[in-house]
Amino acid sequence: MANDSTSSVSLSRTFLTGLWHENPVLRLLLGMCPTLAVTAAVKPALTMGLSVIFVLLCSNIVVSLMRNLLKPHLRILMFTLTISTFVTIADLFLKAFAPVMSETLGPYVPLIIVNCIIICRAEACASKNTLLVSVLDALGMGAGFTLILCVLAGIRELLATGRVFEIQMMPGEFVPWAAMGMPVGAFITLGLLLGLANLITKKKI
Amino acid sequence: MLKNIKYFIEQSWLLIVASFIFGLLLAITNAAWQPRIIQNEIDKFNRLAGGMLTEATAFETAAEDVEVESAKGKKIKTDIKKGASADGKCVGWAFICEGSGFADKIKLVLTVDAAFEKLAGFGVLASNETPGFGDKIKGDYFHSQFTGAPATELTLSKTGDDKKIDNEIVAISGATVSSEAVVKIVNNYIKQIKTQLQTKGLLSNGE
Repeated sequence: MANDSTSSVSLSRTFLTGLWHENPVLRLLLGMCPTLAVTAAVKPALTMGLSVIFVLLCSNIVVSLMRNLLKPHLRILMFTLTISTFVTIADLFLKAFAPVMSETLGPYVPLIIVNCIIICRAEACASKNTLLVSVLDALGMGAGFTLILCVLAGIRELLATGRVFEIQMMPGEFVPWAAMGMPVGAFITLGLLLGLANLITKKKI
Repeated sequence: MLKNIKYFIEQSWLLIVASFIFGLLLAITNAAWQPRIIQNEIDKFNRLAGGMLTEATAFETAAEDVEVESAKGKKIKTDIKKGASADGKCVGWAFICEGSGFADKIKLVLTVDAAFEKLAGFGVLASNETPGFGDKIKGDYFHSQFTGAPATELTLSKTGDDKKIDNEIVAISGATVSSEAVVKIVNNYIKQIKTQLQTKGLLSNGE
């Protein structure tokens, strides 16, 4: 009984770790390319986040299932092969069912192949842990990445256009900050979010 | 020799099997979704071209895989579509054209009237120009200068009257490179597509 509760606590911790303590964007500084490039608006950021969750989940499942068969010197090749397969599927899915979003995201969907979060989780977690732990890790890390992408995009979209999800949020007299929709806005907002995350962590200590 | 082959298979069998399975998975996915992807591209082309050639009810392929030389000397293939009205009359021509932009390749749908004398306009199929600057090539200010402009060599100027429809296009402030890229693409394709249509006997050469 005690073992069961310890195990469930450990499993829930695996999921929650990705949301905050080892958040890929705020704590590990991984996946910076999409974080800066697709966060001008919430919709593309959310689509990117969901695509990463799909790829991360599928690759972690496959890597975890074949972890005992992996040859150490071929493991990176296997990870890349697995990840690129699921990225191609995600890219084709968007082209077929969300063509406008696929165009908005442009090359950043195929570039998920080189997103460090995915290969990092395959190497650090999925290749050493059971299927359940790998699934929870993928969901936690993916959710953490998506959450920060959406927060970043929400701030930028609000300040750049006065709207979020095409809903007017700012008063009529608000003058949009065009710079927030440009790369400079991404760097400034991310810097402030990182500073805030560091401040919160410091206060806890 | 056999020992080497055995060693090779022992080491790489998982990679070979996984490559085969993943390849099969991708082939199935592609076969299932490719018709939808192609249809999406056709719909977008028709939507953009139809918005410019409003009398056209259908776009028929007039010439397939026409070779056009890009500004960099690269051969690019494109289809020339004839915009047909409900009674089958040709109301204009539409084709996809591309060239280098500021950040990446710019892909446009260019439409011209039936006599190939005036531009009906252009629509942006794909571009990754700078948000807030170069991406204004999609905006009315720039776009409207092409509608009704002569289908001859266009020139780009930094200042001028953007309301006047002639062969002088006024650049977008802060996005001269993107503006220049669009004008270059239009000039390059207009000249070559006109020649191709005349060669194929689809357009009178005015003699």
